[in-house]
Amino acid sequence: MSQAPRPQRIAEWLIRAACRRLPADVRAEQCREWTAELPAILDDQSIRPSFLRTLRALSFSIGISRTTRQLSRSARASARRAANAQWRTGAMRIGPLDVVARAILGLFIWLLIVVGVITLARMSPDPHGWLVPLGLALGIGFDVFCLADIVRAAQVRYLPKWAWALICLIQTPLGGIMYLSIGHIGRSRPVPPRSMGPRAAR
Amino acid sequence: MKLTRPLERVLRVMITDPAVPHYGYDLMKAAKLPSGTLYPMLARLQQEGLVDSEWEAQPQDAGGRPPRKYYRLTAEGLRVARLELAQVTRAAPRRVGHGATRSAPGSMR
Repeated sequence: MSQAPRPQRIAEWLIRAACRRLPADVRAEQCREWTAELPAILDDQSIRPSFLRTLRALSFSIGISRTTRQLSRSARASARRAANAQWRTGAMRIGPLDVVARAILGLFIWLLIVVGVITLARMSPDPHGWLVPLGLALGIGFDVFCLADIVRAAQVRYLPKWAWALICLIQTPLGGIMYLSIGHIGRSRPVPPRSMGPRAAR
Repeated sequence: MKLTRPLERVLRVMITDPAVPHYGYDLMKAAKLPSGTLYPMLARLQQEGLVDSEWEAQPQDAGGRPPRKYYRLTAEGLRVARLELAQVTRAAPRRVGHGATRSAPGSMR
């Protein structure tokens, strides 16, 4: 390697630098393939005068740099697509019983709230004075929270986003509770697969 | 895969004698493509199973030259290439005929 002519060494260095963008499992092989082309370019007698061969080898290396950039970009894109597909199929599905259980849980929470509000209203001497404004504020706040969650969610279950938004708005506490218990997809997403294989330490 | 001009040129080179494998620089010269266009295309073709590659066993012209990687169309690749190129050839006269109304897509790389 040390006896190689300078243009070849420079071009090899460029190619090796470009190959660092590639996943570790294919890096060495790709690098070997591309550096093996250099002698053919530098010995190409059809390119004259000889300094043009050097230029050709250098432009070859620059093209390799563009290649690795493109390859790593498309590898990332396909990893993202695979993660999304998994997200769509695996994470979305909850069994039918789960839905019923979640709906019952939602109803139960809603009932607790209703009972709580009624009890508070009974106990308080003047419920209209503070309970109504408080209820309105909490209701609006909860709606805003649910709508913001729907807007920001990557996906919601079973119904389109607009349907969930409508449900939240029409039946203020219950709709939002149902959305959170059924339609909302929590943070426990499947971990997306490593995009480009284990990256070796540089 | 969309048949672009560069891809068409590569396929034409590889199809002339499908049994002959080509290495990268060879293809670059024959198809007159820069490496930054050729190699991503080869990677894509290989991913789709239209092209496969193998390492040269031992360089015959020794001299300490490292072994090269050679590319060749697979059977499926050959079929697809024939089909695609035949379509282009059939479409070509029409393209020329309407040249006045339809501006050429230019040398899009």
